[in-house]
Amino acid sequence: MTTVAVSDAGPLIHLAEIGSLELLDAFDTLLVPEVVHDEVEVGGLPDGLSEVADKVVAADGGDTGVGGELDAGERAAISVARGRELVLLTDDLAAREVASEAGIDVHGSIGVIALGYSRGLLDRDEAASRMRALQRETSLFVTEAVVERGIRLLDER
Amino acid sequence: MAADISDRVREIAEARDLPESEVFERALEHGLEQLWEDLVLARYLDGELDREEAVSRVGRTKVERAERECEAVEADVDWGQDA
Repeated sequence: MTTVAVSDAGPLIHLAEIGSLELLDAFDTLLVPEVVHDEVEVGGLPDGLSEVADKVVAADGGDTGVGGELDAGERAAISVARGRELVLLTDDLAAREVASEAGIDVHGSIGVIALGYSRGLLDRDEAASRMRALQRETSLFVTEAVVERGIRLLDER
Repeated sequence: MAADISDRVREIAEARDLPESEVFERALEHGLEQLWEDLVLARYLDGELDREEAVSRVGRTKVERAERECEAVEADVDWGQDA
């Protein structure tokens, strides 16, 4: 199955922080709106991003007026995803809820790790380790108990 | 890591004009509070603690945040394994 995704800055930054940008290889195409690319560039483009550069393309992120409380990158990514058969990647709960209400299939860095596991890019222990690293070693705020629940779900499903 | 901790304790103590022993005491209190909240939320999410009890122990904001995160993580794991 062809999987196309558009990402805001969160997953690109958080996955880079744990050295896991290669998991984005699970997508056939990854769209990155210009404004998101600019946001990530401010902190220094992660080394791993260039390794998946063939799947990073500029995408027009025209503002459609959704999610006024969201930042420009989140709004642009939602704008790109609206009305298209693609997955939106964001780690922001508010952006996620706005996207879901707009009928967009939306997931975050935890989902990318689970996808890498199901595609055979990671074994179970490595998937669990990277989920814990997201919580402990990155700027992503997620409750430890929630991550542990996600790891148990990997085992159950 | 030990050197990092010593350096940080010294820097905090100097910046806040506190004895290093008090910095350690506050760090222990903060760390214990975090571990306690994680334990309460884990028990709530695992169904071992009812919602109102969890709210009374860590506050409604943290319980509601954990619920939103949990919903997202469950959806992510389901999707990742089915995609």
